[in-house]
Amino acid sequence: MIAILGILLVVIVIVIIEVPSLLKKGLKRELWVFGILLLFGTGLNIAQGLQIDLPNPLDWINVVYKPFSDFLFGLFK
Amino acid sequence: MLEKGKINGRQFTVLVIMFTTGSSLLLAPSMLSSEAKQDAWLAAILGVVVGVLLAWLYQSLGKLYSDMTLVEYSEKILGKWIGKAVSLLFFTFSFLLAALVLRNIGDFITTQFMPETPIQSIHIIFLIIVMMGTRHGLETIARSGEILFPLFIVFFLLLVILASPQIEVEKIQPILENGINPILRSTLLFIGFPFLELVIFLMIFPYVNKPKEAGKALFIGTWMGGVIITLLTALAILVEGPDYTTRNLYPSYYLAQKINIGNFLQRIEAIVAIMWFISIFYKLTICFYVSTLSLAQLLNLKEYRMLVFPLGMILIVLSIVSSPNIVYVVSIILNIWTSYALTFGLFLPLLLFGIVAVRRYVKPISEEKKR
Repeated sequence: MIAILGILLVVIVIVIIEVPSLLKKGLKRELWVFGILLLFGTGLNIAQGLQIDLPNPLDWINVVYKPFSDFLFGLFK
Repeated sequence: MLEKGKINGRQFTVLVIMFTTGSSLLLAPSMLSSEAKQDAWLAAILGVVVGVLLAWLYQSLGKLYSDMTLVEYSEKILGKWIGKAVSLLFFTFSFLLAALVLRNIGDFITTQFMPETPIQSIHIIFLIIVMMGTRHGLETIARSGEILFPLFIVFFLLLVILASPQIEVEKIQPILENGINPILRSTLLFIGFPFLELVIFLMIFPYVNKPKEAGKALFIGTWMGGVIITLLTALAILVEGPDYTTRNLYPSYYLAQKINIGNFLQRIEAIVAIMWFISIFYKLTICFYVSTLSLAQLLNLKEYRMLVFPLGMILIVLSIVSSPNIVYVVSIILNIWTSYALTFGLFLPLLLFGIVAVRRYVKPISEEKKR
C-alpha cells in the first residue's frame, strides 16, 4: 500500500514539474505522449509494487535470436 | 532541431572512451576469459581491431548525413513507415541497453558494498542523477565528462602501475593452447559488448560542431577505450590467472584488492569502483539520452525533456524485470547480446549504406536514359 502511495506521490510531483510549461507552450502532441508514457510507467511500477510477475522482454529477444546466435558461435566450435 | 547544444571533437572523444569502457571495465575481463582462458588478451586485441573497423563504418555513415541523426535519415532513406519501424526498434535497443547498464550498477553495489539494501533504491538514486544530466542536455553531459575524464585516466594509470609488480608471466602461458577458435568466440562476445553498441553515437554525431572531427573522435575514442580494456584484461590474467578471472564476476575490482605495496599501500579497490562509477554514469546517461532523443524524433515531437521522467519510471521497472538473477545475465544475455547488437550495429548501418549507394549509382543511369 505504501509503495503505491509513494508511486502516486512521485507521479504527482512529475506532473507538477512538467505539465505547466507544456501547457504554456501549447505543445499538445507532447502532452499526449507524456501522459501515455507516464500512465504506462505508473501502471508498471504499481504492478511491480504489488509483486505481480511482469513479462521479460529479453525472453522474447532470446526466442528470436537464439537460432542465429547458436549458428554464429557454432561457426567457431 | 531538438537538441540545440553543440559539442566539440574532444568532448566527443571523451564520451566515446567513457562509453566503450563503461560497464566493460569490470565485466569484460571475465567475459573474455570465459572462452579464451589465458589467451583473453589476444581476444581483446582482435576485438579492438574489429571495433575500430566498426567505428570506421559508423563515421562514414554519419558523414553521409552530417546534419541528421540515425532516426532522421533512416526515415529519409527507408521511407516513412519502414523508417519509423526501424527507429522504434532502435529505440528499444538503446532503452534495453540502458536498463541492462543500470542493472550492472545495481548488481555491483548490492554484491560488493551494500548486500542488504534493496536494489531498486540504488537504481532510483543513480537514475535521478542520470535524468538530471539528460534534462540538462548534451552540452552539459559532455562538459562534465571533460572534467571527470582526467581523474578517470589518473586512477587507471595508478591501478596499472600499482598492480604491475605482481605480474607473473607464467600465467598467460601456454599461448594458443586450444587453437584459435575459443579466442574467436571470446572476440565475438567482446565485439557485441561494447563495440557494436557504439552505433548509438550515430544519434549524437550531428551535434558535433565539425563533422570531420566527429569521425576522428569516434576512431580515437574507440581505439583508446579498447586499449584500456585490453590492458585491464591482460593485467587481470597476468596477476590473477585465467581461472580466477573467469570465476570472478568483477576481476578488475579484485585486481585492486590484491595490490599490496610493502604492506603499506593496500586495498585500493575503491579507486576501481570510482573509475567504474564515472565511466558507467556516462554510458548510462548516453544510452538514456539517446533513447529519449530517438523517441522524441520518432514521434516528431518539438521537445524531448518531458519524456525523461516517464521513461525513467519505465526504466526502473525494466531494469529489475530484464534480469531476474545474475545467472540469467551470464547465460542468456551474453549468448544473445552479440547477435542482437549485430542487427543494429552492423546490419542496419550496412543496409542504409547499401541503399544510399544503390541510389547514387542508379540515379545517374536513369537520368541519362531520360535524355
